[in-house]
Amino acid sequence: MGLTIRRCSATFQACRPNVPVDVRMRAAEPVAATLAKDGTAKDGARIETGPVDGGWRIAAAGRWTLDAAGNASDALDRAPRPPGGAAVRLDLARVEALDTVGAYLLNRLAERLGADGHAVSVIGLRPEHAALFEAVRDAGKAPPHPIEREHHPILDMVVRTGQTTVNAAKEILDLVGFLGLVTVTFARLILRPSRLRLTSVLFHIEQTGLNALPILGLLSFLIGVVLAFQGADQLKRFGAELYVVNLLGISVLREIGILMTAIIVAGRSGSAFTAQIGTMKVNQEVDAIGTMGLDPVELLVVPRALALMITLPLLAFYADVMGLFGGAVMAYATLDITFGQFIRQLHSAVGINTVIAGLIKAPVFALVIAMVGCYEGLKVSGSAESVGIMTTKAVVEGIFLVIVIDAVFSVLFSMLGV
Amino acid sequence: MAGSPVIRVRGLVTRFGPQTVHDGLDLDVERGEVLGVVGGSGTGKSVLLKEILGLIDPAAGRIELLGHDTADLDRAERTALQARTGVLFQNGALFSSMTVAENVMLPLKEHTGLAPGLIAEVARVKIAMAGLPPDAGTKHPAQLSGGMIKRAGLARALALDPDILFLDEPTAGLDPIGAAAFDTLIQGLQRSLGLTVFMVTHDLDSLTSICDRIAVLVDKKIRVGTLAQHLADPHPWIHDYFHGPRGRAALDAKERNQARRHEEEDARRLAKG
Repeated sequence: MGLTIRRCSATFQACRPNVPVDVRMRAAEPVAATLAKDGTAKDGARIETGPVDGGWRIAAAGRWTLDAAGNASDALDRAPRPPGGAAVRLDLARVEALDTVGAYLLNRLAERLGADGHAVSVIGLRPEHAALFEAVRDAGKAPPHPIEREHHPILDMVVRTGQTTVNAAKEILDLVGFLGLVTVTFARLILRPSRLRLTSVLFHIEQTGLNALPILGLLSFLIGVVLAFQGADQLKRFGAELYVVNLLGISVLREIGILMTAIIVAGRSGSAFTAQIGTMKVNQEVDAIGTMGLDPVELLVVPRALALMITLPLLAFYADVMGLFGGAVMAYATLDITFGQFIRQLHSAVGINTVIAGLIKAPVFALVIAMVGCYEGLKVSGSAESVGIMTTKAVVEGIFLVIVIDAVFSVLFSMLGV
Repeated sequence: MAGSPVIRVRGLVTRFGPQTVHDGLDLDVERGEVLGVVGGSGTGKSVLLKEILGLIDPAAGRIELLGHDTADLDRAERTALQARTGVLFQNGALFSSMTVAENVMLPLKEHTGLAPGLIAEVARVKIAMAGLPPDAGTKHPAQLSGGMIKRAGLARALALDPDILFLDEPTAGLDPIGAAAFDTLIQGLQRSLGLTVFMVTHDLDSLTSICDRIAVLVDKKIRVGTLAQHLADPHPWIHDYFHGPRGRAALDAKERNQARRHEEEDARRLAKG
């Protein structure tokens, strides 16, 4: 939109010598500023200003539309100002096309002149433009957006830190409250087991347990392989290759099997819980459950929590077996330890205590993952966007809590001497 | 108004699997008119809208928008054409991560080279023209009521001063007062901006009060006519539609409104005379 400004005043020529001069001398308009699109006077938005008898005249002409708006706006800003107190006549007779932006610019001009103490009269408005011009004038009268307060970077950071801390504390409190709610609902269901949704529990056992077997099995197997390989590399230097079995047994059974399982389930099923319940929340299905005299916690949360508490120990045991199997394969391949030797050594290295120390954590992890997943799902509000935000949050919080609780268990076990 | 139609559909065929939705549909929409599109559920009203907008490709037929065949446009021409159409989707389709003002500013930022300050001012005017309070601009769509979302969607649809405005059930889900106010708003904007409006609706009051012509989708084709023409149409569906209890009620309301307007005019004339 190459709009150029042409002026015939000597001062303007002096400071902008390369601008072509368009002399438009008229008796009433000694100063004229003309805007033209691509040099053709027909297409662009043009404005001419100058004194008329007893006042000041601003004449707009051409096409006042979105295409020309940017340059038209600049030109209006640069146009000569009327002398103080002069009555201004805004002549729109030669405006060929007008859209909202053009109408807004002209209205803004009139408003600014009015604010500067000029009496502004709009003349020559074409009938086909009148409705739009008035609609924009009425809309423009609305006060602007409230101005946001000034930001102070350091103060803002302090405020944000405080807000985040308070929110985190509230979140923990809410989560504990939610745990209590679920526990009470659980207790009620134990008293009246007929209300338990068995189909739902079985469905979630299939979803979170059976369907997780391939990915969990493969990952555990690979972790076993890697552990055995790295361990063998180190232990070979001391001629203690056989002890790779002890290393594998302790680390996989006590920590890695269950931790891998919990993290994968948090990513796979915790997020799914949030997304499922969150979508139901967006569709107002959760509200519908409430109005039918049903309990959303009983219907949605308990089956998921129960299903996960049943499947997670089983999955953890499966991960243990697959991890050891991976280690055994690697031990056979690189250290020539046969499967028989592996199992004999495993018997001497770990007892049932080690296995139990790992698996006992599984129901706790399951409860935490299910709680966080369902809690964040129920916290989804209104928009589809918040389903995504809450799902991400559920995964992050789930994995975070699993690792924290695992550390607590480690401290507890060492104090108990297990 | 004279001149070539702004939307011209010829021989449109739409199929979803074995099901034929439109079979040889023809439609002309003239410049500056408000066309209401009605039809039973599943007759392909929204599909027709999406085909005209180029969101769905028809099985056969030609669609011309503002004189351009939509099938053989290159990317730049299509973008330029899209800038001349505004769409209000059924549920607003506002971008939920942006405020209302940012939603309205987005097409202005993408399609014009205006200064950011001017874009913000223009967006403010559009929001006010759509009948929203000034503080609505800073809100996110989730904070708005259904009627306000529709108004915000309308402000965004009008951001680029389009030639054609497409409305998909603009008054669905609004209370009668809100729906009537929305009709008045669309009519006012249509007149002041000189828009052509293509409106899919089920609202009989909208049809009788603001539509110049009505297109009825029946028998996989379309029948366009004024309200009076449709009232005389013997086709069973059209007859049931306009002569059913709701149709009658809407027509009665229109007659009452007209009678009241005449009375008011007479009273004014008397007061003057």
